[in-house]
Amino acid sequence: MNEAFSSVSPVRRSAWKPWENPIFRRYCQSRLRLHGLGVSLLITVLIAGFIVALTHSIGVRSHTRVVDAARMGIIPLLVFQGLILFILGTAQVAGGMVAERDEGVIDYQRLIPMTPLSKVFGYLFGLPVREYAMFFATLPFTAWSLWRGQVAWNVWLPLYAVVVSSALLYHFTGLVTGTVVRNRRWAFLVSIGLVFALYTVIPQMAGFGLVFFKYLTVTPVFEESLPDILPKSAGAIVHTVQRLAPTVKFFNLDFSESVFTAFSQGGLIVTFIIMLCRKWRRTESHLLGKLWATGFFIWIQIVLLGNALPLIEPGHLFPSRAFTRMVQVLPNWKPQPMEAVAMSGIYGLVTLLLIFVLALIITPSAEHQIRGWRRARKQGSSSLPHLADAATAFWFVLVMALAGAAGWFLFTQGLVESRWFPGHVVSLRTLGFFAAVMLTGSIGFQSLLEAKGGRVVGLTAIFVGAVPVMAGAVLGTVSNRMIPLASWLIGISPVSMPFYAAGTLLSLSELPAQTARAIPRAFYFWLLVGALMALWLAVRLWAARQAMAKSVLSVSGEDAPIADPGSLPIR
Amino acid sequence: MNGASASGNGSSTAAIDIRYLRVDYGDFVAVDDLTLSVPAGEVFGLVGPNGAGKTSTFRVVTTLMEPTYGEVMLDGVDAFEDIESARRIIGYMPDLAPVPSDLKVWEFLDFHAAAYGLGNRSQRRDRVNECLAEVALTEQRNSWCKALSRGQTQRVVLAKTLLHRPRVLILDEPASGLDPLARRDLRHTLRRLATTGATVFVSSHILSELAEMCSSLCVMNRGRLLASGTADQVRHQLGSTERVLTATLLARHEEAGEWLSAQPAVHDLRIAGQQVIFGFKGDDEAQADLMDGLIRLGVRMRAFEEKRSSFEDILVGVAETNRRP
Repeated sequence: MNEAFSSVSPVRRSAWKPWENPIFRRYCQSRLRLHGLGVSLLITVLIAGFIVALTHSIGVRSHTRVVDAARMGIIPLLVFQGLILFILGTAQVAGGMVAERDEGVIDYQRLIPMTPLSKVFGYLFGLPVREYAMFFATLPFTAWSLWRGQVAWNVWLPLYAVVVSSALLYHFTGLVTGTVVRNRRWAFLVSIGLVFALYTVIPQMAGFGLVFFKYLTVTPVFEESLPDILPKSAGAIVHTVQRLAPTVKFFNLDFSESVFTAFSQGGLIVTFIIMLCRKWRRTESHLLGKLWATGFFIWIQIVLLGNALPLIEPGHLFPSRAFTRMVQVLPNWKPQPMEAVAMSGIYGLVTLLLIFVLALIITPSAEHQIRGWRRARKQGSSSLPHLADAATAFWFVLVMALAGAAGWFLFTQGLVESRWFPGHVVSLRTLGFFAAVMLTGSIGFQSLLEAKGGRVVGLTAIFVGAVPVMAGAVLGTVSNRMIPLASWLIGISPVSMPFYAAGTLLSLSELPAQTARAIPRAFYFWLLVGALMALWLAVRLWAARQAMAKSVLSVSGEDAPIADPGSLPIR
Repeated sequence: MNGASASGNGSSTAAIDIRYLRVDYGDFVAVDDLTLSVPAGEVFGLVGPNGAGKTSTFRVVTTLMEPTYGEVMLDGVDAFEDIESARRIIGYMPDLAPVPSDLKVWEFLDFHAAAYGLGNRSQRRDRVNECLAEVALTEQRNSWCKALSRGQTQRVVLAKTLLHRPRVLILDEPASGLDPLARRDLRHTLRRLATTGATVFVSSHILSELAEMCSSLCVMNRGRLLASGTADQVRHQLGSTERVLTATLLARHEEAGEWLSAQPAVHDLRIAGQQVIFGFKGDDEAQADLMDGLIRLGVRMRAFEEKRSSFEDILVGVAETNRRP
């Protein structure tokens, strides 16, 4: 063999050209083999053909026009395509990623000289390549339906653009899940669960004022396109209803549904890319850096507010309006004060939960911290860089808590001081209490997580977060006399705090008689207890970190700093 | 410090230069302050019992794992500062050598050839065929990876490792699962690669296996480097100068026995027929002096044999010593 051992020349491939990407081509080879692909395509074409033939035949037999008969198949086809791309594709991405790790070949892929971004795109487009082929196999049927149904290109193009961007978002979800979750079956279940949540549960938040979340799905664009892809008679009805609804408003700006959906999904996709690149670069890295996580949180706050605030004055933000629109009793509609109180509570709760999730991502484990301090010792340093994974996440969670409190306050102020509730104002004192609620929950959670680890946090979440709420709920149903006690019990849980805060502090709050005294008292009491606990945990965390640093840094002899500390960077 | 240089010529010409490497898993220290230098063109062996820290060391050297601290230079490239360049230098064959189940042998190799940018389709095909021939697997070119035997799988992964002509080859237990013939071929391949300028860093828990194929080696246990150098130097560093000597004499056995018993390095002496058998703890010079003494004594010696501890004995001894609290 003619050996000339030298390093290979740098291999620079554009991450944007999948056909040049070896990982993509490798999956084309394995997942597009004639036998397997042939069966998949046959089934796909059969189903798509059946859908179009059946709907068209029904249309013709019911004497609808040719155009309408052709349109009848578009939505069932879209559902079928969604099933292929969103469910099968996502499961394949998550499962394929775990399979790579199970088989052990992922180490080879780590070592090949490709940029992390190229690897991410190789897997993103490669793993579900058969599902893409199946999707493409349905397109002739869609094209026929759109052509015969005389659907304008400016209607179907944005719709399919959002279908593709949603597929990418969900595939990224699967890729992140497959990268993080170690068990193949769990990765499949978690990714499908996440897609389900992204599609069904999370968009429901839109009904409670958190409009942004519905733009993570194809639903808004689908609804926008609906009049033009339905048979004309049905389309006209939908079109009339839609004229009552606004386009997407973002603060003072107006966007089309498809542009804003792309914007919303884009933010999440970029975050997923960052997560995957970090994992490809170093397996031990946190999914997000501290700065990015904080920026991401602030971005979410901005889009939540940007979407929600402009919808308050026209009343579109209130869930009761959507309900009354459904039952067509609009003229005398007016939002209920407690509706606004509940919306404020939900905003606070979602913000708090988001901080918990981000704190989980950026908080270093004890092992991470010790490794960081050992590196610092070798470098002759007595501190860790603030942005290192091993450094404390305390300050970043603190910033998130303050930003979350500010966002919550602005949202609440927008609701309460709107034209719907004349005479009501939200004082700065409320901002102080909102900040206290956010800081108590976030700092307590983060300090406990960093000092004691995930297991203790899990147990705390069960016994302090969930059990009091469940016990209180059961107790409250026993008899009316028990409601005050139940209120006190539920108040133990940090997740009840945003609702208690809104119910206590907002002037438009009209608490029921049984809870009118108990909830405010429970709120102030448990907030004080929570604040003291959070403070104590923060102090304990500080002491634990100091002790850890001292014990690691004070080791002498063979572990003393090396002669050339500059050559050992702290990562 | 826990360090060694295979050639003793420092790190300036080292293909692999490991400094102050430490790897922790929680409270468990897998690699403890390891400093090691492997010169270019060596077949360097890393031996140790299971759990010695070999695989952790390899995973750090291949940039697959971040150490607690420490520095790894590969051909002058900092493995953690410039990961992409470092990865182009190395070829890594992991323990148990996994292969993807959904690819054929040539597809697996062609994928890696493409990933390393080894030319167009026909150039890649030529290189794949060359590497398959090198590991004697040309006939399995169109077989499914999942249909290969353990030994064949090892060889396919070795072919994959050779594809991009890496300057540093890191092979974790490459001989496991190979039959004696394939082991011999592997030995020849590694030696030949070294003559063409590649540096081979190879691990095994079988010391005799490494002693056969390596120009130098080191022994690790419990994350620490115990000895390094040539096979003899390692034996010496591990304190294994213990041997059993047998002198076959034509006459005067008792007299020779008395004289030998008076020597401080001699112990456990017994006489069996014409043979005087005794334990001896000393280096080669001391042994030569002993023979010289016997001859000066005037005994007529027909034969003089030595039996040294095997490498396996040494390793077992090391492992057991370290196992004790």
